[in-house]
Amino acid sequence: MRETRLWSLHLLVIPIIVVLLGLHFAVMHYAPVFYGVSVEEARSFEVMVERGRSVAQFVLYILLLAAGLYHGLYGLRGILRELPLTPSLSKAVDVGILLFGLLIFSFGTYVTWWTFGYKIGG
Amino acid sequence: MNSNTPTSYPNRLGVKGWVYAGRYTFERYLYGGHRFAGLGLIAYMVLHIIETANRMRGEQAWAGLMALFASPPFKVIEYLLFAAAVFHALNGVRLLLTELGFFLGKPKEPVYPYSTSVMRHRPLTYVIMALAGLIMVLGGSSLFFP
Repeated sequence: MRETRLWSLHLLVIPIIVVLLGLHFAVMHYAPVFYGVSVEEARSFEVMVERGRSVAQFVLYILLLAAGLYHGLYGLRGILRELPLTPSLSKAVDVGILLFGLLIFSFGTYVTWWTFGYKIGG
Repeated sequence: MNSNTPTSYPNRLGVKGWVYAGRYTFERYLYGGHRFAGLGLIAYMVLHIIETANRMRGEQAWAGLMALFASPPFKVIEYLLFAAAVFHALNGVRLLLTELGFFLGKPKEPVYPYSTSVMRHRPLTYVIMALAGLIMVLGGSSLFFP
């Protein structure tokens, strides 16, 4: 049952990733096509910080971070657990991936929070 | 042996088992590609989170990093990332449809010549891969020739 829940969550986060990653690509990589501004301008420090100070951007980035990391690391876990591992090694893979995911999520959240609280000219 | 004890089948081929498709079909290669693209995307995501933290070192450091990303080799890497994301997403849609039982046809008596669910599913596979190819071409043209 636990595995079914984990797998279902792996699928349920897909729409979140598709929409938010699509937005991220549009803003950061295809700005001339979707927003009529150059990529250089879209990625400039001022514009990046200005975007990061919006509540919507803050919430959506945390959501994308969580959804992307969960989907990716669950997939990695599945690949690793297909290898001929002993039960203790399988457990080590689970714990290691969980800790790694939490570490990267915390770090990404901290950077997003830093951007959200950044004072322009301050 | 206790009937509740899971039977362990050693994965003798290891990683080679999913890299080498042997005499398997188109879908088997898509399976390898899906994993390869997925591993690349999660590796990139982790690096991306670490690399964008460079903003905390100030405007100069950020500008230097963005100048590096604007160089031709990074443009190619950026495109490969985009292509991997498109392939992984669209092949994922195909897998999801298969998993939920769509486009597999109704079960029927196995009468020769056999019609397998893979073959009934094949036209959808081609349509989805053609769509992925089209998006990759359009994305590449927008990225390299804005």
